[in-house]
Amino acid sequence: MAFLDNSGDIILDAVLTDTGRMRLAKGDGTFRIEKFALGDDEIDYARYDVNAATSIKGLTVLQTPVLEAFANNVGSMKYKLMSGLNNNLLYLPIIKLFESGDSARFGSGDSAKFIVLVDNTTVLSVIGSGAGAAASGLPGGVLNGIFTGESTHLIRADQGIDNNKVLTISPELRETQYMVKMDNRFGSLIPPQGSTTPAQPAFIDDDSIATYILTSATDSGYVNVDPNFLINPTQGSQPTGKAVAGAFGSRVAFRIKASTSVATSDHLFTVLGNVGTETIGSLASGNYRYVDTIVNISGETTGYSIDIPLRYVKQT
Amino acid sequence: MASTFKPLNQNDITTVRDMLHEAIPITGTIVSGTYNTGPTDHNIKNYETGLFQSVFDYPYLSSSANHIFDLTVGYSNVSSLSASAMVAGGTQTNKKINMYNEMAQILAGFDETGSVRRFDRDGDLTGGAKLDEVFIVNFARLLTKDEIKKQSFSMTLLTGSTVSTPSLVSSNLLIQDHGAQTSYKVNSPVGEYGILYTGSAALAGSGVGLIYYQAGICVLTASVFDGPAVADYIGNNGAGGETVNYTTVDDMLISGSISGSCDAFRNRLDNISFNNTTEINSTIYFCRANFNEYNYSSNPTYLSQSQIVVKTSPNELPRAFVTSVGLYSADNELLAVAKLSAPLQKDPTDELILRVRLDY
Repeated sequence: MAFLDNSGDIILDAVLTDTGRMRLAKGDGTFRIEKFALGDDEIDYARYDVNAATSIKGLTVLQTPVLEAFANNVGSMKYKLMSGLNNNLLYLPIIKLFESGDSARFGSGDSAKFIVLVDNTTVLSVIGSGAGAAASGLPGGVLNGIFTGESTHLIRADQGIDNNKVLTISPELRETQYMVKMDNRFGSLIPPQGSTTPAQPAFIDDDSIATYILTSATDSGYVNVDPNFLINPTQGSQPTGKAVAGAFGSRVAFRIKASTSVATSDHLFTVLGNVGTETIGSLASGNYRYVDTIVNISGETTGYSIDIPLRYVKQT
Repeated sequence: MASTFKPLNQNDITTVRDMLHEAIPITGTIVSGTYNTGPTDHNIKNYETGLFQSVFDYPYLSSSANHIFDLTVGYSNVSSLSASAMVAGGTQTNKKINMYNEMAQILAGFDETGSVRRFDRDGDLTGGAKLDEVFIVNFARLLTKDEIKKQSFSMTLLTGSTVSTPSLVSSNLLIQDHGAQTSYKVNSPVGEYGILYTGSAALAGSGVGLIYYQAGICVLTASVFDGPAVADYIGNNGAGGETVNYTTVDDMLISGSISGSCDAFRNRLDNISFNNTTEINSTIYFCRANFNEYNYSSNPTYLSQSQIVVKTSPNELPRAFVTSVGLYSADNELLAVAKLSAPLQKDPTDELILRVRLDY
């Protein structure tokens, strides 16, 4: 009689992340492991050969070397595996930046980004002399990070099927809750319109990365799952503008308010920043410093995430 | 509803306790000789107080140096060496008594009258012979970790006729904690300790020292160096740029300084070895991926124009590859990560149980 195959039972040694160690050190009960997720950050699924013989379709993928664990909580588990779906799906939704109108980015191609102006002097310089802080006229993709109510520019991302062959999206795949992560030293999240009161982070980790949980039920200003947006030709209208080519799931939008510390101090720009080499509106190159960061948006349902480049700019 | 997290319930979490042992060899050439390139061994550190001496495994000014143990000597205030006649010609008498009392009150504690207990030869505190003149070796936490493993300690001393011609290795004095696995003592305020013997077995009344397992301290009677009263019997043998040797170990303990006596001890130390013990408390999380779970991925490469790249038709089974397991708090903060050695395929025809162990 042959031996039993026990290859399905695997023992792994875990390492604490920096945030895990911080919570453990606090001793306030916040270090409590309550759930798990599986990740596949190293995998390039394009290497999966669907046309090969069954036994070797995934051979290249299975040979992928796996990195040791990162202790940085932000750098690990970026892409998660999903449960709760039937086996017959051929399309899955993604999250994609909506880049037109008020949510267009500054620049194009690889250099496209959102820019946040961190103080009034910088705003006035970008708009041009003689204009007031209240004036509009910021170039596309440039957010007023100090008088946030004076600009309609925002960051917006759509979730849905990015394929025009699919015009409906299963409710189980529609995101109703998003997680937004950003560097809390530079700025905070505010609603895409109306209120300029920053959202409250769910937590701020040891690296000053703030995590915001935005839910359609409680944060409707940020997350929109208006049924009228659902693409079902027989039941509703399609949104007039959307980032995805096919079925629309939901939308998350926000603006960025610059933190008081970057508005009043040059320290982070001196330590982390560089001298600008491109002209922003009327702000000439060489007259400002900038720091590049990212904002990460991920869906709580599907785990899909995107990183959005964000540049904080301050006139020197 | 699609999801990426799966709750861990009480049947998925268990705790275990393991003992990890490491073999620690300390060779005599490191303790005296290897780094003796100048007037002072570069891996030996003496302090202004002169109360003890630190031994490193490398010149201690280097950041690569590890502290391996401290050495000191002392005798009790009832020892014949502390008698008034001796004190007159003694060196650092008060400091030697001070060191003895400090170690004794910590390791042996106080008696019912509040007096410091002296180290007992056989561990029976109600009577019997005491160890009144001792060498004390305090091992660094780096080596002993949580404790020294019982019945693993051994020390070899060179006890030959003179400093310059100590015994050959074949006749060195081997000191071990024979039988300590089952006959260790528990009447010390700092935990368990064993009796050190020179013979091949634990013979009652023949102990020459004590080894405190949790404290990581060896107390050795100076009488192990008792021998023929010949010139240059024990001493620093030139360590420190000078030769100060004595005819007996008692002469050395009276006339020599603490650091000088420590030098002498180091020059007679051939080998120390023991196993340390690290108590590892682990929590094991059973991360169970059922057949219908974790078969899809949110990896951007998983899709091309939103179409799953590992399928060509809806009828094909989905599949994904696992490389990591993340352990999360209730508010979805990543607290720990475990990595697989190679990607593992997951599809609806298979289940996985990934046992993730977190050590404390």
